[in-house]
Amino acid sequence: MTGLSKRNLKQLFREQIPFFLSIPSLIWQILFFYIPTILIIGLSFVAMTGYGFTLYNYWLCCTVTYAFIIARSLLAAFITSFCCVLIAYPVCYYLALSIERAKNFLLFLLILPFWTSVMVQIYAWFFVLERHGLINTILLRLHLITQPVALLNSSIAVYIVMIYCYLPFMIMPLYAQLEKLDTRLLDASADLGATAWQTFTRITLPLSVPGIRTGFFLVLVPSFGELAIPALLSGGKQLFVGSVISQFFISAREPHLGAAFTVMSCIALAAAVGLMYMAFSWFSTPAERNAL
Amino acid sequence: MKYGSRAPLPWLLPLLALGVYVFLYVPIAVLVIFSCNKSELPFVWEGFSLKWYTHLWHSPEIWHVLCNSLIVAFSAAFLSITMAVLYVFYGTRRMVQQLYITFYASLATPEIVLAVGLLNLFTLFSIPIGLLTLIIGHTLLGLGYVIPIIHARYQELDKQYMEASLDLGASPGQTLRYVMIPLLKPALLASALIVLVISLDDFIISFFCSGGATQTLPMYIFVMIRSGASPVVNALSTVLLLLSSVLVLLFSSLHIKKMDLLR
Repeated sequence: MTGLSKRNLKQLFREQIPFFLSIPSLIWQILFFYIPTILIIGLSFVAMTGYGFTLYNYWLCCTVTYAFIIARSLLAAFITSFCCVLIAYPVCYYLALSIERAKNFLLFLLILPFWTSVMVQIYAWFFVLERHGLINTILLRLHLITQPVALLNSSIAVYIVMIYCYLPFMIMPLYAQLEKLDTRLLDASADLGATAWQTFTRITLPLSVPGIRTGFFLVLVPSFGELAIPALLSGGKQLFVGSVISQFFISAREPHLGAAFTVMSCIALAAAVGLMYMAFSWFSTPAERNAL
Repeated sequence: MKYGSRAPLPWLLPLLALGVYVFLYVPIAVLVIFSCNKSELPFVWEGFSLKWYTHLWHSPEIWHVLCNSLIVAFSAAFLSITMAVLYVFYGTRRMVQQLYITFYASLATPEIVLAVGLLNLFTLFSIPIGLLTLIIGHTLLGLGYVIPIIHARYQELDKQYMEASLDLGASPGQTLRYVMIPLLKPALLASALIVLVISLDDFIISFFCSGGATQTLPMYIFVMIRSGASPVVNALSTVLLLLSSVLVLLFSSLHIKKMDLLR
């Protein structure tokens, strides 16, 4: 290394300028995503009193209560994702394959809620679900009920609003998938004598699996860790993963336990995602399965 | 009718689609109507009045919160886009290019994990929580969206323009400034809008990284709903709705859809 004079070093440095300019984003990502994640995993193995490796945090988190909370969050995420598929599929099919006129405008209307603040969307539902809200008023006027039903502060409210907030995440990939569907296949199927249902179950549905899959995961992952919706609408009766993690870290100030719980819920989520991925590849077409 | 008649139950399809639109827009419509309510109670209708909008206009607290939100959103947009452009333009080394995949990881992780990790990092190095930490978190969030968009657009560009510029004696910096950025302008504007919207909308990272002293708009609304909403929130929400509609209109005039993200 003695051969490197000062000038050579300068030259070397100048050649490296593009490299130095290209890495700030990588540094940012490593510094604020990878290192914190590793720290959380590390913290979960550190004893609460200070230093030393321990599995005690995990042992404390291995209770029925916490297992139920993780299971409840997974269930909520799955129900949300499934309902989003069921609600989004017909409207995406209708827009992508059934109509020509006003298509762009209708699509615009469908995407618009995605851009509005989630907090505003949650707040809007209070007007519908409230004791004197829209649903209760309509039901009372129709004399279907004699007293207002308590719709807020229930798991029904949480599910409805979760579906509402995450629906656009399903609509976008699903619409994109159906839009690029080769309609000649549908013609061919009909020409060869298939009924509408046969065409749908054998051609349209298998070919839309990639879109459903993308949407499913786009809904499943964030809805698992949702914080604001359960906090505002479950009335504190039901705890979800998001609320427990925030309690551990912010109100209870027990980051070691919180870290262990976070790692455990992430493992549960990863397992669920893996299982769903396998399930989807089972449903997809043979050609796609080979590509996977 | 294209293929609708070939769908199973063709008469049901428009009805189901209509149902989705009703589901999407009824809550928003009720909210907008109730923002013009005279009553002191947010959910009880008394009569038409715009007084809550004047309350909103004269509330110093809301202006302060809005100011925080805008500072964070614009800084996050500026930082993430600058870093993304530098990465895409100068990242010619194989190693740097291969590390592209690392940016997807933060998108595939639940946001709460990002937030907890950041909070833990800040407490560990005793960095005071406030506007700065909010900007750090939102920039991280923005990078995950912006890098894939700008990267994809850059790959589609005709590299001959850049080569011609370099051949004719322009420095890499000049090529970046006068050739690449003008060519990428639509993608850059789109990314800026996406980061702005995501940052203005974000709740979880703000909740963990701001410590309650520096509030952003979603946190302000959250606290207001929790502590028993006042009709001012109705007016504020309606204003936000209008703002985001204007943003989307701007966006669709740029012919770039958020769908590009999902490719």
